[in-house]
Amino acid sequence: MIKLDHVSFAYPEQGPSVNDVSFQVEDGEFVAILGANGAGKTTTVRLIDGLIRPTQGRVEINGADTVTSSVSERARRVGFLFQNPDRQICKNTVREEILFGLRTVRGEEGEEALQARCDEVLKDFGFSGEEEPFSLSRGQRQRVALASILAVEPEILILDEPTTGLDYFECCHIMDRIRRMNEEKNVTVIMVCHDMEVVLDYAERALVMAGGKLLADGPVREVFRNEELMESASILSPQMISLSLRLGEGFRDADTAEDIADTALAARKGGAQA
Amino acid sequence: MIEFKDLTFTYKDETKPALQEIRLSVPEGGFLGVIGPAGAGKTTLARAITGMIPHHYPGDFYGSVTVNGLDTVDTSILDISRLVGMVFQDVDSQIISPLVEDEILYGLENFGIPREEIPRRMEDALEKVGIADLRERMVTSLSGGQRQKVAIASIIALQPRVLVMDEPTGELDPRSSRQIFSLLKELNEEQGITVVVIEQKIMLLCEFAKELAVLSEGRIVRQGPTRDVLAHAEELQAIGVNCPRVNTLSRILSQKTGTEQPVCVNLDEAETMVRRLIG
Repeated sequence: MIKLDHVSFAYPEQGPSVNDVSFQVEDGEFVAILGANGAGKTTTVRLIDGLIRPTQGRVEINGADTVTSSVSERARRVGFLFQNPDRQICKNTVREEILFGLRTVRGEEGEEALQARCDEVLKDFGFSGEEEPFSLSRGQRQRVALASILAVEPEILILDEPTTGLDYFECCHIMDRIRRMNEEKNVTVIMVCHDMEVVLDYAERALVMAGGKLLADGPVREVFRNEELMESASILSPQMISLSLRLGEGFRDADTAEDIADTALAARKGGAQA
Repeated sequence: MIEFKDLTFTYKDETKPALQEIRLSVPEGGFLGVIGPAGAGKTTLARAITGMIPHHYPGDFYGSVTVNGLDTVDTSILDISRLVGMVFQDVDSQIISPLVEDEILYGLENFGIPREEIPRRMEDALEKVGIADLRERMVTSLSGGQRQKVAIASIIALQPRVLVMDEPTGELDPRSSRQIFSLLKELNEEQGITVVVIEQKIMLLCEFAKELAVLSEGRIVRQGPTRDVLAHAEELQAIGVNCPRVNTLSRILSQKTGTEQPVCVNLDEAETMVRRLIG
């Protein structure tokens, strides 16, 4: 469980980036953090990972304060996928990259066990292990970064705009893999994402931020249907939700193109009978 | 304004061409969206317009690219850069000054813009991109999205006749992304600037681009007016290009009603389609 209790954070010589934010995330949840550029989303996930320390308030992971818990303990529990995989990858082959994280976090298990775990992950992600990360495409490098994080089997996965710069196939590939971890291994996922279609397709709960404050917290579909909230947070709802809101009350439960088509056809039939 | 005649380009030390037999024409005042999966050659296409290929990135260059009648092979990068402004995908490789104001000033001074004209151009560019309040900030203190806007402002200040943008909204939130595309539209419609945008956000391209070119494995597999290209949604999806949900809705309704529904590119059109169907 992740708990933020009245957390604030200010970068040096700037106003607060995160201002008195409190929320709790239970194990196995898939949460998206939404907001405009500069709303405090990335700062919030960095606080959860312990990359930065709150200037006020407390951040707890499973009851342990991130300020006092050890870095290795946090690294074991929390995996952080950066927006840009190049800020993460540091080895010359995919195998070495995956082993690097494993040796750092699970070194006590012995080299043989780590090699076996590495083989398992390579197979799972479809890498031979001999690839040079920087000769791969951006999407593939993002997969290398994700593979090395998932190799250590974190309990919490933090994603900072995981789909930026990825094409459609790469985006589905990465997101489906993350969903599988969430569903099968009960990994808690916290995702900062600007692609509202991805948020609607994958996340269950949305935290909405603006100006460093938490504006709203609720089920994704409800949040997207709150037009006033979307306006004040400078967020554009996914296309099909915007369309269903325009079409009115009869389309209230239609969130996808399929739903809208079915609702429209049912309305047409109803009209014909009347 | 931009003419590709059978361009085939292979980067030095590579065996596979990055672009193959590209034939493309963008008229003056055109607004072309370029889309395609990773590794399709989109960035290479942008580099070919700016002359970075072959001047900066050597390789085997067959065919020709002309911008405003100038052959990019025979023209220096400096001369092309007076015509063509480009915003890179990785803005951090573009920004060189510590202060936002200095970044915009740098280009203006290098282009020899008269001193008295500089303040107006600077204010205008900052205002248009919506970052007037960031003028005196250190670039390092800005978010990724804000840095992207700085890079765009510094190019717009130079008033190029052709703007080439390689994923200009990669790090921007949806509202800022729309703001950038609205700005491109304004520059395109009011000042006649020719715009070429590489973008993965298909929804934005569909709303703003007049024409689309779809690249796959170094070749153009579809090109034409945006709506005509979108009519081939299934083919696009097969190569890894998603279509906007309004377009998916058109297809689902066509299948379910057994009658061809219009290809929708935005919410207004989708709303009209559904309302007409309901009757």
